[in-house]
Amino acid sequence: MQCSLNGDAQAYAALLKETARLLRPFLAKRLYHGNEVDDVLQEILISIHKARHTYDGERPYLPWVYAIARFRLQDHLRSHYADELHGAEDIAELEETLPDELTEAAFSYESISGEVEALPEKQASILRLMHQEGYTAKEVAAKLGMNESAVKVSAHRAYKILRERLER
Amino acid sequence: MDNMDDLIASLSKEVTPLKPAPHPLRLGLKWLAIATAYLAVTLSIFGVRPDLMQQFIKPVFSAEIMALCGIFIASALSAAVLSFPDLHQKRALAFAPLLMFALFVGVMGFAWHADQPPAPLPMHSFECTLSILMFSLLPALAIFNVLRRYASTHLSYSGIAALLFAFSTGALWLRLYEATDSVVHLIEWHYLPIMGVILVGGWLGKTVLKW
Repeated sequence: MQCSLNGDAQAYAALLKETARLLRPFLAKRLYHGNEVDDVLQEILISIHKARHTYDGERPYLPWVYAIARFRLQDHLRSHYADELHGAEDIAELEETLPDELTEAAFSYESISGEVEALPEKQASILRLMHQEGYTAKEVAAKLGMNESAVKVSAHRAYKILRERLER
Repeated sequence: MDNMDDLIASLSKEVTPLKPAPHPLRLGLKWLAIATAYLAVTLSIFGVRPDLMQQFIKPVFSAEIMALCGIFIASALSAAVLSFPDLHQKRALAFAPLLMFALFVGVMGFAWHADQPPAPLPMHSFECTLSILMFSLLPALAIFNVLRRYASTHLSYSGIAALLFAFSTGALWLRLYEATDSVVHLIEWHYLPIMGVILVGGWLGKTVLKW
């Protein structure tokens, strides 16, 4: 981690691989489906990446990682059970709230739709379905015949490309 | 598994040299220094209560101010520790405000019994709550803004600690500014409404500090 804080990409990749190997059994014990383990593990790795500035390399690494892992696992379980509870909700009610949440973003989908269309076809379709049509990653995966993790990874890459283009 | 490798490759491509966040004690002390300066500036503008020195001779008033200072310090350090996912492995510090709060409740209980005959109620009432709210708004906004840059895994408690810090600054200011000694007034219009607002911090933390 110390090397990765100094910008060593190889050390960082090795650290993330080792962390994923450590966390897989921890998640497998707590989650029912194999694909859920993959999804949550990816969320955790992304969270580790976002929060890496809060680790200084001077205290043990594992408590820090497991704190993030537990936090994301709880988040996942909470939304999983909330989804189940709200499964019977009228879709019309959701349609009323979804556009509001989308417009809370720094910019709307419409304002960057030109940039989205310039992305590779698959990534553009995923973003269009998620942000214009309002589908969840799971629904997009079913629609495009992909698995949910692949959709998330693809969306993550698309966001990265868009961010780089928009920052230019 | 391919997706996992792809994700790791993509994340490691993004890695650049990064300055680690400061130690939470340093962070907390910085917040305390800024809040103390804010308190000093506002007290120098609005002035302190005319009988402040005589009040400090009274043990109940001194104990109340010390307990408030305890909450002020403990909540700043707690909010700083809570902004790290693993509480910087200083769990006891994160929950220190609870101890200080219990001490404060004890002091107020003692003040209630010692208020014999009861001090006269002031003419004003909700104006005190409003003053504390107005005074605390700036520290509250500032601390939430800073906390958003970190990665708390205890969102509700972080929000509560942040508001406790901001509002203890406000409570201290009003106690040093306003010449009121009625314990009933203090509890009714200073401390109970603030406690209600602080509990909103739990919801605010969950909403604002999400990452």
